[in-house]
Amino acid sequence: MSTRALHPLAEDYLRRLRRAGHQLPPHRLRELLTEIEGHLTEAVPPDAGDEEALEVLARLGPPGDIVDAEQPPAQAPADRRGWREWAAVILLPLGGFAFGIGWLVGLILLWSSRLWTTRDKLIGTLIVPGGLATTLAILLILSGSTTTNSCSGFAPPINPTTGRAIGHGTIHCISSPGPSAATTAFHVVLAVLFLLGPIVSAVYLAHRAVGRSSSSAASML
Amino acid sequence: MSQLRRGVLEFCVLALLRDGERYSFDLVRELGDADGLVTSEGTLYPLLGRLRREGMVQTTWRESVSGPPRRYYRITPDGDAALQAFAGQWARFRDSVDALIELGARA
Repeated sequence: MSTRALHPLAEDYLRRLRRAGHQLPPHRLRELLTEIEGHLTEAVPPDAGDEEALEVLARLGPPGDIVDAEQPPAQAPADRRGWREWAAVILLPLGGFAFGIGWLVGLILLWSSRLWTTRDKLIGTLIVPGGLATTLAILLILSGSTTTNSCSGFAPPINPTTGRAIGHGTIHCISSPGPSAATTAFHVVLAVLFLLGPIVSAVYLAHRAVGRSSSSAASML
Repeated sequence: MSQLRRGVLEFCVLALLRDGERYSFDLVRELGDADGLVTSEGTLYPLLGRLRREGMVQTTWRESVSGPPRRYYRITPDGDAALQAFAGQWARFRDSVDALIELGARA
């Protein structure tokens, strides 16, 4: 900031701009203040009348408008995307492992973001609810449905003196057949889908977030 | 309308820089004087910053005897390419919109 004298109304304008821009990154606010101060120095001599100064300030517009232009609505989440959107992208596939709470937090972040459309949010929610924790649970269930054996019958009596068996016992075992090849293939496809679903969904959301935030004004044409 | 204005303004800045570097204040004042182009001159400074971060313009600081250092802007090859691409699309866009508006006025 310059130490040169400014018109009192220009000084007041800079103070209001500093207050309005307190949420901007410090280097961006500093840069804005320097630019606007330069503008005011050129446009409003320190001894200018209030009417002249007010006209210059009116042309500049309200400080809030300048701050909004520095951080327009479509890009605001992008600049702060640091933690909200990226947290959602990470928590949706992985948060389920934290007793499901992490996934719910990711879900709240997803739906509270303005970067994603309702379609994006539905994709993030439904593919796959619970994320990879759900995938793991399904894999465990699928791996449990293998061949089972059940046995019944009786063991031979034991001689208490010698500790040896007296005669023979009878034990019958029944082996249940495992799933068919078609069922196994179905299980594999299901497992792969549930494994890829949360990952692809997270990548899609990240891609959409980056795409929305960096869309150029030129693309309007 | 404000979205359209904001998008077009970027290229108006680049167009003004095509003939050489300009002081930011002069740029802002010239755009501000153009009828219907800018509602708040102050909002052009964030736009200039964005163009700089996108590599469309480069800046140089120079000392001034009458005030704080001045920032001068000049267009980069990327900016020039973007401006040329826009100019071609804009002509078609403008002609189509004009034709539709005239058609609507006659109906």
